[in-house]
Amino acid sequence: MNVIYLLIPLGLGLLALSVWAYFWAVRSGQFDDLDSPAVQILLDDDRAPPPAAPDPRDA
Amino acid sequence: MEPALTKSRCFHCGSPLTAATSLAVRVDGTEHPVCCAGCEAAARLILSQGLERFYEFRELPGEPVAGGLHNWAAFDREAALRRYTHECAGGERELSLQIEGLHCAACAWLIETSLRREAGVRAIQVNASTARAELRFDSQVTTLSHLLARIHALGFVPLPLSFAGGGAEGTAERRAALKRLGVAGLGMMQVTTYAVSLYAGFMQGIAPDLEQFLRFVSLVVATPVVLYSAQPFFISAWRSLLARRPGMDVPVALSVGAAYLWSVVSTLRGRGAVYFDSVVMFTFFLLLGRYVEMSLRHRAGLQHDALARLLPDSTLRLTGVEAERVTPDELRAGDRVRVLPGERVPADGRIECGSTDVDESLLTGESAPRVRRTADELTAGTLNLTGVIEMTVTRTGQDSTLAAVSRLLERARGSRPAVADLADRVAAYFVTGVLLLAAGVALYWLHADPARAFGTVLAVLVVTCPCALSLATPAALAAATTRLARAGVLVTRGRALERLSAADRILFDKTGTLTLGTPRLEAVVLLEPRLTAQQCLAVAAALESHSAHPLARAFKDLTASAGVSEVQSFAGRGLEGVIAGTRYRIGRIEFVREGCARTAREVTDDPGRTSVVLGDTAGPLAEFHLTDTLRSDARETIQRLAALGLVAGIASGDRTEPVAAAARQLSNVAASANLTADGKLALVRALRAEGHQVVMVGDGVNDAPVLAAADVSVAIAAGTELAKVSADLILLGERLSPLAGAVETSRRLLRIIRQNLAWAVLYNLTAVPLAASGFIEPWMAALGMSGSSLLVVLNAMRLLDRGAGRPPTEPAPLTEVAHA
Repeated sequence: MNVIYLLIPLGLGLLALSVWAYFWAVRSGQFDDLDSPAVQILLDDDRAPPPAAPDPRDA
Repeated sequence: MEPALTKSRCFHCGSPLTAATSLAVRVDGTEHPVCCAGCEAAARLILSQGLERFYEFRELPGEPVAGGLHNWAAFDREAALRRYTHECAGGERELSLQIEGLHCAACAWLIETSLRREAGVRAIQVNASTARAELRFDSQVTTLSHLLARIHALGFVPLPLSFAGGGAEGTAERRAALKRLGVAGLGMMQVTTYAVSLYAGFMQGIAPDLEQFLRFVSLVVATPVVLYSAQPFFISAWRSLLARRPGMDVPVALSVGAAYLWSVVSTLRGRGAVYFDSVVMFTFFLLLGRYVEMSLRHRAGLQHDALARLLPDSTLRLTGVEAERVTPDELRAGDRVRVLPGERVPADGRIECGSTDVDESLLTGESAPRVRRTADELTAGTLNLTGVIEMTVTRTGQDSTLAAVSRLLERARGSRPAVADLADRVAAYFVTGVLLLAAGVALYWLHADPARAFGTVLAVLVVTCPCALSLATPAALAAATTRLARAGVLVTRGRALERLSAADRILFDKTGTLTLGTPRLEAVVLLEPRLTAQQCLAVAAALESHSAHPLARAFKDLTASAGVSEVQSFAGRGLEGVIAGTRYRIGRIEFVREGCARTAREVTDDPGRTSVVLGDTAGPLAEFHLTDTLRSDARETIQRLAALGLVAGIASGDRTEPVAAAARQLSNVAASANLTADGKLALVRALRAEGHQVVMVGDGVNDAPVLAAADVSVAIAAGTELAKVSADLILLGERLSPLAGAVETSRRLLRIIRQNLAWAVLYNLTAVPLAASGFIEPWMAALGMSGSSLLVVLNAMRLLDRGAGRPPTEPAPLTEVAHA
């Protein structure tokens, strides 16, 4: 059972690491919008925009 | 080319199409009809950029593209750039925008993708949850006005936020809450693991040093959760004590604090019970409930200055001989301003020259425009419809009428008697009870055995931990608001749902709430058979296409005959123009008669109907009957509400006849017309004085104070910002029927809250004497505490089940509450 004295402190270390990673993720804005990214992967495609897309106001 | 009318709704905005429209867009070889030129332009722009997937993935149809005049040029001026943007290195500028009409991730994607293709855009990030965009652009390559115009062309309205008061607070609040929640969640997972080992140890035996080690590790993990995550509870409890209104946070803080301290003491002494798992789990679930509540509040976008949205983006200020575009907040009293047709009045003022029709419906609720002439007063936010006018600014900012409305609103909100919410009432008794009990126990033990007094008092406080009690309401509210959001009702103040469940009166505003707020053509009556109805409509459409008058919108779907010239608009009367050599007039009957040689036959004058007459120089030709149609599900919703025991009524600022007509169509509900904001307020107060619980549904600025005074207020999403700020609930989309579903959900919510509270009180009532007399082992008490909290949370989750949006098990024959 002595191994538990090693494993639990290790677990605490991992916990500290995950809290740090989580804080970093929150700070860098990864949780600011939880709706868009899920859909954006479906929306974005590799097709180039149609070349002839003249903006009437630029003409 | 006839468009394939497979769907009778606009491809872009989803508005029902009334008349056959010739406007259409082509997607993958199929013609899709659109309702107006604005929607057509937006759809074409989206399609021309190859972004048609937007239509596939969006969750709600867009809003009709407003035809209102937007002139973004004022944002290119140095003063405006300084106010709204932040200058970065290399001539790049950053700014935050609030985007109206942004509903889902697809909208955000559309704006991002489209703007990234603009030259000079360095970065753009659109947040769909908060409807905010962060934009960085190179001011040497492009102009801000061009980018704003591009967003507007896609069918959204961008509102630059002033840099100082930008959206940073909301984001900061949200991030801080997320961090606290995350720490509590991670801590909970760890501490629960240790607790399971400890519980197993109680039953099977455990080495004393290992037990002590696990307790110590639990202490290490629980400490940041209590000191960091639970901090808001301690702060708010302290504040509520200072204000002498102890709320639910007091017992929460007390028990978290007491249980934690007790556990720390036990751990350090090496004997006695520890409650770290309960403390941490309790903190996590409470924070979760608050986080859901906060997200909903942010989502409703209530942080932004609601009044500013009623003002135009820019206005023409006249200085000497020159005219320059400025933003309304640059205006000072005494400035001279020119307001063009279709623009909003930027400040309160007096007309110096010119006359025009003004749409004051935002303030008065009356749908018919008023004529304003030289020396008449104008109010900021009203819409100039027909003529060019010059005015002198008399009041701006805090002195303006809009600011006065908002103060009226504050007062109304403040005067709402504090209806003590169920949980708060229970909390107040509970706090008093626990404190009295603790004091009694302390007194007893100080006499009997002073050495044990402190320990016993702590034990009482721990065992009375109101975990389940304080979770009972927030957990159920979080579940109910989530469910309602799926059904198309945004709840901005969760506690209002408790009051909604008890409501027995419901008042509707008419224009824009019960009705769609836009006139529709009902019938054409030919007065002389010189032209066919079709020809008359074509002429009318051609003339009205030159007008910003609200009634003109009834003609916008029609095919107009070409070649109108010499169009002239007469304030309060109508329009004149020449088509194919014939001079036509459209507008009031008197106006049309003045323009013709001989008097023609009388026009039926029904005051309950809005009508427009078309005539040429020979006499009136046709009369068009216009009505503001009721929302398609208005009648059904009122019937469903009646089945639920809510008596409906109409409180409108409009004239008597249209209100009475609407009331007749809605199976004769009680109606009051000609009400000002004060009148509506009086009506609500009178009903409340009779002991009724009143729900108010509205959309306009004039509704805002009433909304604030009612027990529960509901605003329409398409309504004004001020109304939404005052509202407890916001109805998304074009339908009223989710309201009936909301009442049902609120009643189910109350049942669940009562069950939860009953269980919590029962648990505490049995646990306290048992624990005090030593019949309960410490681990049983801790397990019981966590177990009862979990039970309460799981019971609350029942509000979410049975599929999204399905009405609960009421016996009434109800239709599906699904959003369009």
